Amino acid sequence: MRRVLALIAVIVTAILLQSTVFSQLRLLGVRPELLYLVTILIALQEGPNQGAIVGFTCGLAQDMLLDQPMGITALTLTLLGYAVGMARQYIVSPSPLVPTIVVAISTALGVAFYEIVTFLLGQFEAGFTYAVKVALLTALYNAVLTPILAPLLRRIVEGSRPRRVVRL
Amino acid sequence: MAARSGPRNTRLLVVGLVVASLAIITVDYRQGDSGPLAEMGRAARTFMAPLQEAVTNVTRPVGNFFSGVAHLPSLAQENTDLKRELADAEARINATSQIEAQNQELVNLLNLKQSLQPSSVPAVVISNGMSNLNYYITIDRGSNDGVRTNDPVVTGDQEGARLVGIVVSTTTNSAEVRLLIDEGFSVPGRLATSGETGLVIGNGDQDLSMQDIPATTKFPAGDAAPESIFTISYSVGDLQSRFPPNILIGTVSSVVQGGVEPDATVSVRPAVDFSSLEDVLVLQTADGGSG
Repeated sequence: MRRVLALIAVIVTAILLQSTVFSQLRLLGVRPELLYLVTILIALQEGPNQGAIVGFTCGLAQDMLLDQPMGITALTLTLLGYAVGMARQYIVSPSPLVPTIVVAISTALGVAFYEIVTFLLGQFEAGFTYAVKVALLTALYNAVLTPILAPLLRRIVEGSRPRRVVRL
Repeated sequence: MAARSGPRNTRLLVVGLVVASLAIITVDYRQGDSGPLAEMGRAARTFMAPLQEAVTNVTRPVGNFFSGVAHLPSLAQENTDLKRELADAEARINATSQIEAQNQELVNLLNLKQSLQPSSVPAVVISNGMSNLNYYITIDRGSNDGVRTNDPVVTGDQEGARLVGIVVSTTTNSAEVRLLIDEGFSVPGRLATSGETGLVIGNGDQDLSMQDIPATTKFPAGDAAPESIFTISYSVGDLQSRFPPNILIGTVSSVVQGGVEPDATVSVRPAVDFSSLEDVLVLQTADGGSG
């Protein structure tokens, strides 16, 4: 229960920050995708199971606040959380740069997937060049934020784990 | 949330979540704005609006500071322009009495108020949207304040109203506004000098484009003030313009004429600086118009 509440608080905070502060702090006209970032970092830390659940929850929460057909972000982040969680078993390098690189690549792929689905549903009105620009710049922005937010998120997730009491 | 589960259970979980997502997409797509999912969305936005308003109030100075840093080059130019305008203004103030200036200001404000008939609702921007692919804002006034879907949104000063966008959805305490620069936005416009009319279309972070302007249209040349574009009002059968006339959309930033194309390629710089938009007026004109 503690963990669920902690994750809900993280998701609501991410939505609030993205729709207020970060909408003013644009990088070449693009804002970060904080919910993608939260999903990727939790999937990296906790694995595919929680990555998919958190991704679905983050996506549904974002869909609620967008004037888009609901479910597209939920679908995108569910698959993204699962894929990143599965990929972590192949990541053997202890380099602190690894999360940043994973976030950059996964964000670009996730945003591209979202754009393709919205295009197939006739909801995407921007051009191809703009779509590529958004995917790449969002990936860059999320990567820049990773060293700041990853330790914070790790502490929150680890702090909310149920404690085991061992009686001897 | 179970932290430990086998690969098979995880795959089942993911398949379940994907199916749920697809079901949500389908149901929402079929039911549009009247379904239970749309109601849930409105409830979520109603819940979030006060939180967004609070966060915006607290963080706006910080955001403005960093936004200002990002716009330093243009601010330097703006600073030069403002200094020149200030010198002009001081010269004018010396030449006229304070009472005359005050009177003129009140007359200008009265003119603006009259030009915004029917009534308008003042609102504050509490969120600048979530998506990189759409240009929406959220304002702190909703259906309880008389804001309705398709209401035009403007900002302005004593010189007149400037077009911001149009309300696309409302909750009881907030409303979503599609901005003029959104790729899905279009508005009929009229060139101030030539009177030619065309469709002004949003173009993301690029200048707007204006279509259907004949290549033979004459534009101001040289140092003349750039051509302004205003909204027009029309009524064709049951179709009516959603926008009152004479709201400034923007000014022509570039024109490409000549060649074999029958129409000129016209780019339009919006009259509103959307990066620093805080206060707007919602015009209560919505009556199911379509243009």
